[in-house]
Amino acid sequence: MASQETKSPKNPSREANGILSPGFRSAAAMAGWLLLASLVVEDTPIRESRHKKRPNHHNLKSPASTNSNRKRRSKRRQADDLMPAVVLCLDDEEEDAKKDVGVKKNGAGKVVVDDGDREKKMKGEENFGENASSSDNNNNKGLPCMDRLREELSCAICLEICFEPSTTPCGHSFCQKCLKCAAAKCGKRCPKCRQLISNGRSCTVNTVLWNTIQLLFPSEIEARKSTLSAGPRTPDSRNIIYETGRYRLRIIDARNTQRSTSFGTATQVSHSTERERSSSRRRASPGQSQDAALALRLQREEFLGTSIDAIEQPRSSLHSARANLRAMASRAYHIRSRGRY
Amino acid sequence: MSSSTGNPFAGVGGGGGVHQWCSTTSVSSSSKRIQKEMAELNAEPPSDCFAGPKGDNLYNWVSTIIGPQGSPYEGGIFFLDITFPLAYPFKPPKVIFRTRIYHCNVDSSGEVNLDILKDSWSPALTISKVLIAIKTIFTNPDPYNPLVSSIARLYLTDRAKHDEIASEFTMRFAR
Repeated sequence: MASQETKSPKNPSREANGILSPGFRSAAAMAGWLLLASLVVEDTPIRESRHKKRPNHHNLKSPASTNSNRKRRSKRRQADDLMPAVVLCLDDEEEDAKKDVGVKKNGAGKVVVDDGDREKKMKGEENFGENASSSDNNNNKGLPCMDRLREELSCAICLEICFEPSTTPCGHSFCQKCLKCAAAKCGKRCPKCRQLISNGRSCTVNTVLWNTIQLLFPSEIEARKSTLSAGPRTPDSRNIIYETGRYRLRIIDARNTQRSTSFGTATQVSHSTERERSSSRRRASPGQSQDAALALRLQREEFLGTSIDAIEQPRSSLHSARANLRAMASRAYHIRSRGRY
Repeated sequence: MSSSTGNPFAGVGGGGGVHQWCSTTSVSSSSKRIQKEMAELNAEPPSDCFAGPKGDNLYNWVSTIIGPQGSPYEGGIFFLDITFPLAYPFKPPKVIFRTRIYHCNVDSSGEVNLDILKDSWSPALTISKVLIAIKTIFTNPDPYNPLVSSIARLYLTDRAKHDEIASEFTMRFAR
């Protein structure tokens, strides 16, 4: 909306420019100057050479200059030497009149001719319009600048955008958590310049920087905040779900792998395989593989959640009650986690 | 190659939706940081260097450094193993030469004597900076903190002879 509003005032001039192709405009300007030159020749033969030279020079230098620019230049020149000023002025008007006849009213150019204020205003608007368009471009391009900002505002330790940045006495900023960790594990020196930092525990958040980062990268900060707030809440519920997941997987495994064998042996066998698998996974790479396995279990659980309850029925009532409780807990957790997403 | 080996890891985390559960362990933060470094290295690798995960384990990398021009190691391709500790940005990675090299700061088992890989490690350092540091000891060995004192002595007393042997080693083992 705003950009349209700012663009609208410069439309007339744009239109005029559109009608006048640059080639034509330069040709017209050339014609005008030739006419002027001939007039000057008639009036003052002495100045002939000088004025012939200048128009040519002018045309060569800026063939595609806008109307108002040219007019301003001619006015400036008019102030420079008084004598030909009258001639020039007249000529300009004549030229414009001609253009009007020839080129179906290029209104903007005509109005501008004598009215200095209007001209200035037009010029200002044009400038404003240009600025607006350039700022639009900046917003559209935006990326190189943002990349640099991201680089500047990222923590050298975790390589992400600084979260609650803390600034050392030597002027380097890191996430507060990262800085504390670094101070605890690598000694009380600035990770960047190795200057002594007083105490990792007493570091405070640089509020200005933190607010700036929050304004510049709201989405990243939101994502990180949500993970942080989810962090301390999850462990207990996660344990529950982990347990139920494992328990159910055992049953699922039993069903899938050993359908023909009796139920009891199947559980034992699958139990051991499951344990092996999970332990091997843990050895391979602790955090993420566990998470991945958990995700897999959860998926399976979701698919078979209802049918398993049916399987469990023949077992003791106490057992089924326990299973129900776990299922309820997991469902509650599911609802909560879905709400969070 | 490195991206194809690295992605499965990220894919598992993102695809399962497990990403949302932030584990407060250092394991996830170190793997995150290693992934970031990998992306950075792929985007703009330091000249004459390459590094990436060996297989699908993010913590074991392999790296190659091409012997810098003007040094006796010119023309050689040196393979290095990089192992990240679990507490990675806070503990230095282990770098071991897999290619034999005649250098006073690298012993026969491939151990590198580089201060930033030991006491003066800083969590703000990255693997690309480490690789650049290793490249500089190719051109400027540090004979005053040697790992192989005989090479250091030769370097200080008879530089030409040292360079000759070094280039011979490069020809023999690093091509």
